[in-house]
Amino acid sequence: MRPSTPMSPGGGDHVVRVAAVGDIHLAPGCEGLLRPAFTKLPECADVLLLAGDLTRHGTVDEARVVAEEVRDIGVPVVAVLGNHDYHSDQADEVTRTLGSAGVNVLEGQSAVFSVGDHRVGVAGAKGFCGGFAGRSAGAFGEPEMRAWVRVAHVGAERLGSALEELASERCDVRVALTHFSPVPDTLAGEPVEIYPFLGSYLLAEAIDSVGADLAVHGHAHLGTEHGTTAGGVRVRNVAQPVIDRAFALYELPVPAREAA
Amino acid sequence: MTEHASPEVEYRIARLRERLAGDDVAELGVRIELRGATVLLTGSLATADRRDEILRLAREELDGIVVRADLTTPSADAPDHGEQLS
Repeated sequence: MRPSTPMSPGGGDHVVRVAAVGDIHLAPGCEGLLRPAFTKLPECADVLLLAGDLTRHGTVDEARVVAEEVRDIGVPVVAVLGNHDYHSDQADEVTRTLGSAGVNVLEGQSAVFSVGDHRVGVAGAKGFCGGFAGRSAGAFGEPEMRAWVRVAHVGAERLGSALEELASERCDVRVALTHFSPVPDTLAGEPVEIYPFLGSYLLAEAIDSVGADLAVHGHAHLGTEHGTTAGGVRVRNVAQPVIDRAFALYELPVPAREAA
Repeated sequence: MTEHASPEVEYRIARLRERLAGDDVAELGVRIELRGATVLLTGSLATADRRDEILRLAREELDGIVVRADLTTPSADAPDHGEQLS
């Protein structure tokens, strides 16, 4: 852990430096692909967020490759799983494998850690699809359709409860981490017809209702990096094909604390 | 006049999409589009080996059709700067 947060380039305020990437889709044969870049993290970041789809098929063998890429990397690593990581019905084993390398895998939980004198919180949930306001699926009709929409609601509820945990922890900086997108902004470049399969406005509603300083997601390989929620929270799509780097880096100012 | 593919091509492209999304391949990040009489694959794949595998599958599934590809692999380098969020 760093002894103190660095000063912002503008002077005065401190910043928390968040590194993030999703959709790295590692598998046996990819060993060492990202490790050289990740070893530089202690020089430039206070935390690494992994925004899901860390594997191709969600197998333990693939998760082991991911685990070795980030093991003892020198900064806290917080992750959510993505849809690929569920494909082999081994999500629990994948979570345990990543956990054995020190990765804190969140699904409706939060992680709080110290950066200098500041408390940084990450609320994580995979989320789900379903579409965006005015163009979303409704919980009506066949049981399968109602169940599908229900999963989207549950995912958003999990994110909301994790964000509420951070609010009660009085974190100085709060980050919402999902795999599916909370907004359509960061999907630009994807076919409009598949937007309903790429995210859900329910995630943005949870973020805006509780509050966050940054929302990070993956999943949309052909999308764009920048967006905002209706409430003005910055959203970043960190799918590796989008950011075209080993990770993206965001510097968040730490607001001054009110005098006690 | 632009040469157009037969209607059957659309279904063959759909089958390729399903094959790429299937258990053994699990690749959902490739866009496959009909461009005149040819098929164009675009997208970004984790490794060069993966890119070659996808291209091989496409040419196998779309045998007899000209397949063009603009498939890339993302940089694995660390960024040289961060975005300052005010």
